[in-house]
Amino acid sequence: MSFIHYVQKEINCKIVYYGPGLGGKTTNLQYVYNTTPGHMKGRMISLATETERTLFFDFMPLEMGEIKGFKVRLHLYTVPGQVFYNASRKLILRGVDGVIFVADSQEERFDANIEAIYNLKENLAEENYDIMELPYVLQLNKRDLPSAMERDVLAKELNIKGEKVFDAIACQGVGVTETLKEASKQVLMYLRKTQLERGV
Amino acid sequence: MEIYSDGMKDALAGLLGKTGAKTAMLVSREGYNVVEVGDVSYFNTTALAALVAGAFSATREMARMVGEKGFSILLQQGESRHIHISLIQDLLMLVVIFSDNESIGRVRYEARKTSMILADQLAEKGTRTHLESRLEETDFGENAMNLIDRVFQT
Repeated sequence: MSFIHYVQKEINCKIVYYGPGLGGKTTNLQYVYNTTPGHMKGRMISLATETERTLFFDFMPLEMGEIKGFKVRLHLYTVPGQVFYNASRKLILRGVDGVIFVADSQEERFDANIEAIYNLKENLAEENYDIMELPYVLQLNKRDLPSAMERDVLAKELNIKGEKVFDAIACQGVGVTETLKEASKQVLMYLRKTQLERGV
Repeated sequence: MEIYSDGMKDALAGLLGKTGAKTAMLVSREGYNVVEVGDVSYFNTTALAALVAGAFSATREMARMVGEKGFSILLQQGESRHIHISLIQDLLMLVVIFSDNESIGRVRYEARKTSMILADQLAEKGTRTHLESRLEETDFGENAMNLIDRVFQT
Protein backbone atom coordinates (compact mmCIF):
# COMPACT_ATOMS: atom_id res chain seq x y z
CA MET A 1 0.00 0.00 0.00
CA SER A 2 1.30 3.44 -0.88
CA PHE A 3 2.55 5.60 1.94
CA ILE A 4 1.58 9.26 2.11
CA HIS A 5 3.68 11.23 4.60
CA TYR A 6 1.67 14.36 5.25
CA VAL A 7 4.25 16.06 7.43
CA GLN A 8 7.23 15.52 5.13
CA LYS A 9 4.85 15.84 2.16
CA GLU A 10 5.85 12.66 0.42
CA ILE A 11 4.01 10.02 -1.56
CA ASN A 12 5.75 6.63 -1.78
CA CYS A 13 4.54 3.85 -4.05
CA LYS A 14 5.89 0.37 -4.71
CA ILE A 15 6.10 -1.20 -8.16
CA VAL A 16 7.33 -4.79 -8.50
CA TYR A 17 8.79 -6.42 -11.61
CA TYR A 18 7.60 -10.03 -11.64
CA GLY A 19 8.10 -12.91 -14.06
CA PRO A 20 9.96 -16.13 -14.84
CA GLY A 21 13.67 -16.56 -14.14
CA LEU A 22 16.06 -14.98 -16.62
CA GLY A 23 13.18 -13.10 -18.23
CA GLY A 24 14.82 -9.67 -17.91
CA LYS A 25 13.41 -8.13 -14.72
CA THR A 26 16.79 -7.00 -13.41
CA THR A 27 17.78 -5.86 -16.92
CA ASN A 28 14.70 -3.61 -16.99
CA LEU A 29 15.64 -2.08 -13.67
CA GLN A 30 19.28 -1.66 -14.63
CA TYR A 31 18.26 0.18 -17.79
CA VAL A 32 15.99 2.50 -15.80
CA TYR A 33 18.83 3.10 -13.35
CA ASN A 34 21.43 3.76 -16.06
CA THR A 35 19.23 6.20 -17.96
CA THR A 36 17.82 8.13 -15.00
CA PRO A 37 19.58 11.42 -14.15
CA GLY A 38 21.52 11.33 -10.88
CA HIS A 39 19.26 13.74 -8.99
CA MET A 40 16.24 11.52 -9.63
CA LYS A 41 17.54 8.23 -8.35
CA GLY A 42 18.88 6.72 -5.17
CA ARG A 43 21.34 3.92 -4.87
CA MET A 44 20.43 0.66 -6.63
CA ILE A 45 20.67 -2.38 -4.43
CA SER A 46 21.05 -5.87 -5.86
CA LEU A 47 20.95 -8.85 -3.54
CA ALA A 48 22.25 -11.42 -5.99
CA THR A 49 24.06 -14.75 -6.01
CA GLU A 50 27.64 -15.11 -7.18
CA THR A 51 26.35 -15.87 -10.67
CA GLU A 52 24.33 -12.62 -10.62
CA ARG A 53 20.96 -14.31 -10.34
CA THR A 54 18.62 -12.33 -8.09
CA LEU A 55 18.62 -13.90 -4.65
CA PHE A 56 16.25 -11.68 -2.71
CA PHE A 57 15.49 -8.48 -4.63
CA ASP A 58 16.83 -5.55 -6.61
CA PHE A 59 15.71 -2.13 -5.51
CA MET A 60 15.96 1.45 -6.66
CA PRO A 61 14.05 4.55 -5.60
CA LEU A 62 12.96 6.90 -8.39
CA GLU A 63 12.27 10.52 -7.45
CA MET A 64 9.53 11.65 -9.80
CA GLY A 65 9.10 15.28 -8.75
CA GLU A 66 6.13 16.95 -7.10
CA ILE A 67 2.36 16.79 -7.31
CA LYS A 68 0.65 19.64 -5.46
CA GLY A 69 3.62 20.12 -3.16
CA PHE A 70 4.01 16.42 -2.40
CA LYS A 71 7.22 14.68 -3.49
CA VAL A 72 6.43 11.49 -5.39
CA ARG A 73 8.86 8.59 -5.01
CA LEU A 74 8.51 5.24 -6.77
CA HIS A 75 10.15 2.27 -5.07
CA LEU A 76 11.04 -0.17 -7.84
CA TYR A 77 11.68 -3.79 -6.89
CA THR A 78 12.38 -6.98 -8.78
CA VAL A 79 11.71 -10.45 -7.39
CA PRO A 80 13.87 -13.53 -7.90
CA GLY A 81 12.33 -15.48 -10.77
CA GLN A 82 13.63 -18.92 -9.92
CA VAL A 83 10.85 -21.27 -8.79
CA PHE A 84 12.41 -22.17 -5.43
CA TYR A 85 12.60 -18.55 -4.24
CA ASN A 86 8.86 -18.21 -3.73
CA ALA A 87 9.17 -17.16 -0.09
CA SER A 88 11.24 -14.16 -1.20
CA ARG A 89 8.70 -13.24 -3.87
CA LYS A 90 5.90 -13.21 -1.32
CA LEU A 91 7.85 -10.87 0.95
CA ILE A 92 8.56 -8.40 -1.83
CA LEU A 93 4.90 -8.32 -2.88
CA ARG A 94 3.90 -7.12 0.58
CA GLY A 95 2.56 -3.57 0.22
CA VAL A 96 2.75 -3.59 -3.57
CA ASP A 97 0.93 -0.86 -5.53
CA GLY A 98 1.52 -2.16 -9.05
CA VAL A 99 3.05 -5.09 -10.92
CA ILE A 100 4.96 -5.22 -14.18
CA PHE A 101 5.01 -8.78 -15.49
CA VAL A 102 8.11 -9.34 -17.62
CA ALA A 103 7.42 -12.29 -19.88
CA ASP A 104 10.11 -14.14 -21.83
CA SER A 105 8.99 -14.31 -25.47
CA GLN A 106 10.98 -17.43 -26.30
CA GLU A 107 8.81 -20.43 -27.13
CA GLU A 108 10.75 -22.69 -24.76
CA ARG A 109 9.90 -20.35 -21.88
CA PHE A 110 6.17 -20.30 -22.49
CA ASP A 111 5.37 -22.75 -19.69
CA ALA A 112 7.60 -20.78 -17.30
CA ASN A 113 5.60 -17.63 -18.11
CA ILE A 114 2.31 -19.36 -17.39
CA GLU A 115 3.67 -20.83 -14.16
CA ALA A 116 4.90 -17.40 -13.04
CA ILE A 117 1.50 -15.80 -13.71
CA TYR A 118 -0.25 -18.47 -11.64
CA ASN A 119 2.35 -17.99 -8.93
CA LEU A 120 1.76 -14.22 -8.98
CA LYS A 121 -2.01 -14.67 -8.65
CA GLU A 122 -1.57 -17.08 -5.74
CA ASN A 123 0.91 -14.89 -3.90
CA LEU A 124 -1.21 -11.77 -4.35
CA ALA A 125 -4.28 -13.60 -3.10
CA GLU A 126 -2.36 -14.67 0.00
CA GLU A 127 -1.67 -10.99 0.69
CA ASN A 128 -5.35 -10.19 0.06
CA TYR A 129 -4.80 -8.46 -3.26
CA ASP A 130 -7.09 -8.94 -6.22
CA ILE A 131 -5.08 -8.88 -9.43
CA MET A 132 -8.17 -7.71 -11.28
CA GLU A 133 -8.07 -4.50 -9.23
CA LEU A 134 -4.33 -3.96 -8.94
CA PRO A 135 -2.40 -1.83 -11.48
CA TYR A 136 -0.82 -4.34 -13.85
CA VAL A 137 1.17 -4.16 -17.09
CA LEU A 138 2.41 -6.98 -19.31
CA GLN A 139 5.78 -6.68 -21.03
CA LEU A 140 6.79 -9.15 -23.73
CA ASN A 141 10.56 -9.12 -23.51
CA LYS A 142 13.24 -10.54 -25.81
CA ARG A 143 11.25 -9.78 -28.95
CA ASP A 144 14.48 -9.85 -30.96
CA LEU A 145 15.28 -13.50 -30.32
CA PRO A 146 14.76 -16.00 -33.16
CA SER A 147 12.61 -18.33 -31.06
CA ALA A 148 10.26 -15.54 -29.94
CA MET A 149 6.63 -16.59 -30.22
CA GLU A 150 4.30 -14.69 -32.47
CA ARG A 151 3.49 -11.46 -30.69
CA ASP A 152 -0.31 -11.57 -30.82
CA VAL A 153 -0.48 -15.23 -29.81
CA LEU A 154 1.74 -14.68 -26.78
CA ALA A 155 -0.06 -11.48 -25.77
CA LYS A 156 -3.41 -13.29 -25.90
CA GLU A 157 -2.18 -16.31 -23.94
CA LEU A 158 -0.62 -14.26 -21.15
CA ASN A 159 -3.23 -11.54 -20.89
CA ILE A 160 -5.14 -11.64 -17.63
CA LYS A 161 -7.60 -8.78 -17.76
CA GLY A 162 -7.12 -6.84 -20.97
CA GLU A 163 -4.06 -5.06 -19.58
CA LYS A 164 -1.77 -2.98 -21.75
CA VAL A 165 0.98 -4.99 -23.45
CA PHE A 166 4.42 -3.66 -24.37
CA ASP A 167 7.00 -5.25 -26.66
CA ALA A 168 10.50 -4.99 -25.31
CA ILE A 169 14.16 -5.77 -25.84
CA ALA A 170 15.23 -4.79 -22.34
CA CYS A 171 18.97 -5.25 -22.91
CA GLN A 172 18.74 -2.53 -25.58
CA GLY A 173 16.29 -0.44 -23.60
CA VAL A 174 13.49 -0.96 -26.12
CA GLY A 175 10.07 -0.76 -24.42
CA VAL A 176 11.48 -0.36 -20.90
CA THR A 177 10.50 3.26 -20.36
CA GLU A 178 7.09 2.84 -22.00
CA THR A 179 6.31 -0.08 -19.68
CA LEU A 180 7.28 1.80 -16.53
CA LYS A 181 5.45 4.92 -17.69
CA GLU A 182 2.20 3.00 -18.06
CA ALA A 183 2.64 1.26 -14.71
CA SER A 184 3.34 4.60 -13.00
CA LYS A 185 0.20 6.13 -14.50
CA GLN A 186 -1.93 3.26 -13.30
CA VAL A 187 -0.38 3.35 -9.82
CA LEU A 188 -1.03 7.06 -9.31
CA MET A 189 -4.59 6.73 -10.61
CA TYR A 190 -5.10 3.78 -8.29
CA LEU A 191 -3.73 5.86 -5.43
CA ARG A 192 -6.25 8.58 -6.19
CA LYS A 193 -9.04 6.03 -6.24
CA THR A 194 -8.09 4.04 -3.15
CA GLN A 195 -6.58 6.68 -0.88
CA LEU A 196 -7.68 10.16 -1.80
CA GLU A 197 -11.33 9.44 -2.54
CA ARG A 198 -11.49 7.52 0.70
CA GLY A 199 -9.96 10.48 2.52
CA VAL A 200 -7.21 8.50 4.28
CA MET B 1 -1.61 4.93 4.56
CA GLU B 2 -0.59 7.61 7.07
CA ILE B 3 1.09 6.25 10.17
CA TYR B 4 3.31 9.16 11.15
CA SER B 5 2.41 11.14 14.24
CA ASP B 6 4.16 14.18 15.66
CA GLY B 7 5.18 12.44 18.88
CA MET B 8 7.24 9.84 17.03
CA LYS B 9 10.13 12.19 16.37
CA ASP B 10 10.19 13.22 20.04
CA ALA B 11 10.22 9.59 21.15
CA LEU B 12 13.16 8.83 18.86
CA ALA B 13 15.02 11.95 20.03
CA GLY B 14 14.49 10.82 23.62
CA LEU B 15 15.92 7.41 22.76
CA LEU B 16 19.03 8.96 21.22
CA GLY B 17 19.48 11.22 24.22
CA LYS B 18 19.37 8.35 26.68
CA THR B 19 21.54 5.90 24.76
CA GLY B 20 23.99 8.14 22.89
CA ALA B 21 23.14 6.18 19.73
CA LYS B 22 24.03 7.75 16.41
CA THR B 23 20.75 7.39 14.52
CA ALA B 24 17.20 6.18 15.08
CA MET B 25 14.59 5.69 12.42
CA LEU B 26 11.17 4.18 11.91
CA VAL B 27 10.54 2.03 8.86
CA SER B 28 7.15 0.75 7.70
CA ARG B 29 6.84 -2.96 7.00
CA GLU B 30 6.51 -2.10 3.29
CA GLY B 31 10.03 -0.65 3.42
CA TYR B 32 9.24 3.06 3.59
CA ASN B 33 11.22 5.43 5.79
CA VAL B 34 8.66 7.07 8.12
CA VAL B 35 10.90 9.29 10.23
CA GLU B 36 14.57 9.57 11.21
CA VAL B 37 16.42 11.36 13.98
CA GLY B 38 20.16 11.92 14.47
CA ASP B 39 22.95 11.72 11.93
CA VAL B 40 21.83 10.31 8.58
CA SER B 41 24.66 11.76 6.54
CA TYR B 42 26.61 8.50 6.36
CA PHE B 43 24.00 6.29 4.68
CA ASN B 44 21.04 6.37 2.31
CA THR B 45 17.85 6.22 4.39
CA THR B 46 15.60 5.05 1.52
CA ALA B 47 17.89 2.15 0.67
CA LEU B 48 18.39 1.17 4.30
CA ALA B 49 14.61 1.20 4.88
CA ALA B 50 14.09 -1.23 2.00
CA LEU B 51 16.80 -3.53 3.33
CA VAL B 52 15.52 -3.41 6.91
CA ALA B 53 12.00 -4.37 5.82
CA GLY B 54 13.41 -7.21 3.71
CA ALA B 55 15.60 -8.48 6.53
CA PHE B 56 12.78 -8.37 9.03
CA SER B 57 10.36 -10.12 6.70
CA ALA B 58 12.92 -12.83 6.05
CA THR B 59 13.50 -13.21 9.78
CA ARG B 60 9.77 -13.56 10.39
CA GLU B 61 9.60 -16.40 7.89
CA MET B 62 12.55 -18.10 9.57
CA ALA B 63 10.74 -17.80 12.90
CA ARG B 64 7.64 -19.42 11.46
CA MET B 65 9.70 -22.29 10.13
CA VAL B 66 10.89 -23.11 13.62
CA GLY B 67 7.43 -22.78 15.12
CA GLU B 68 7.64 -19.19 16.37
CA LYS B 69 5.15 -16.47 15.47
CA GLY B 70 7.98 -14.07 14.86
CA PHE B 71 11.21 -12.70 16.28
CA SER B 72 10.62 -9.27 17.74
CA ILE B 73 14.23 -8.12 17.76
CA LEU B 74 17.09 -8.25 15.27
CA LEU B 75 20.62 -7.31 16.26
CA GLN B 76 23.34 -6.89 13.66
CA GLN B 77 26.77 -6.57 15.22
CA GLY B 78 29.63 -5.05 13.29
CA GLU B 79 33.17 -4.21 14.34
CA SER B 80 32.43 -0.65 15.37
CA ARG B 81 28.79 0.00 14.47
CA HIS B 82 25.74 -2.06 15.27
CA ILE B 83 22.08 -2.05 14.25
CA HIS B 84 19.27 -2.91 16.63
CA ILE B 85 15.85 -3.44 15.01
CA SER B 86 12.63 -4.04 16.89
CA LEU B 87 9.13 -4.60 15.62
CA ILE B 88 6.25 -2.38 16.78
CA GLN B 89 2.75 -3.79 16.42
CA ASP B 90 3.63 -5.56 13.19
CA LEU B 91 3.45 -2.16 11.47
CA LEU B 92 6.72 -0.38 12.06
CA MET B 93 10.34 -1.23 12.71
CA LEU B 94 12.41 0.83 15.09
CA VAL B 95 16.00 0.97 13.85
CA VAL B 96 18.78 2.15 16.15
CA ILE B 97 22.32 2.52 14.88
CA PHE B 98 24.96 2.82 17.57
CA SER B 99 28.70 2.50 18.03
CA ASP B 100 30.93 0.51 20.34
CA ASN B 101 30.87 3.35 22.86
CA GLU B 102 27.26 2.60 23.75
CA SER B 103 26.25 -0.54 25.58
CA ILE B 104 24.02 -3.01 23.77
CA GLY B 105 22.06 -3.63 26.93
CA ARG B 106 21.28 0.04 27.33
CA VAL B 107 20.16 0.35 23.72
CA ARG B 108 18.01 -2.75 24.02
CA TYR B 109 16.39 -1.50 27.23
CA GLU B 110 15.65 1.98 25.89
CA ALA B 111 14.49 0.63 22.52
CA ARG B 112 11.97 -1.56 24.32
CA LYS B 113 10.68 1.42 26.32
CA THR B 114 10.48 3.60 23.21
CA SER B 115 8.67 0.83 21.35
CA MET B 116 5.98 0.87 24.01
CA ILE B 117 5.60 4.65 23.69
CA LEU B 118 5.37 4.36 19.92
CA ALA B 119 2.84 1.53 20.17
CA ASP B 120 0.65 3.76 22.35
CA GLN B 121 0.97 6.56 19.83
CA LEU B 122 -0.05 4.22 17.03
CA ALA B 123 -3.07 3.05 18.99
CA GLU B 124 -4.10 6.62 19.71
CA LYS B 125 -3.57 7.59 16.13
CA GLY B 126 -6.07 4.97 15.02
CA THR B 127 -8.80 6.88 16.82
CA ARG B 128 -8.27 10.33 15.36
CA THR B 129 -7.98 11.90 11.95
CA HIS B 130 -4.90 13.64 10.68
CA LEU B 131 -6.11 16.97 9.37
CA GLU B 132 -3.03 19.00 8.56
CA SER B 133 -1.89 19.55 5.01
CA ARG B 134 -4.33 17.05 3.53
CA LEU B 135 -3.59 16.14 -0.07
CA GLU B 136 -6.67 17.15 -1.97
CA GLU B 137 -8.05 15.01 -4.72
CA THR B 138 -8.86 18.02 -6.88
CA ASP B 139 -6.66 18.10 -9.99
CA PHE B 140 -4.53 15.25 -8.64
CA GLY B 141 -5.07 13.10 -11.74
CA GLU B 142 -4.16 15.84 -14.19
CA ASN B 143 -1.10 16.84 -12.17
CA ALA B 144 -0.01 13.21 -11.95
CA MET B 145 -0.31 12.67 -15.71
CA ASN B 146 1.67 15.83 -16.42
CA LEU B 147 4.40 14.74 -14.03
CA ILE B 148 4.66 11.29 -15.60
CA ASP B 149 4.81 12.77 -19.09
CA ARG B 150 7.66 15.02 -17.96
CA VAL B 151 9.63 12.21 -16.32
CA PHE B 152 9.15 9.58 -19.01
CA GLN B 153 9.62 11.45 -22.25
CA THR B 154 9.35 8.67 -24.83
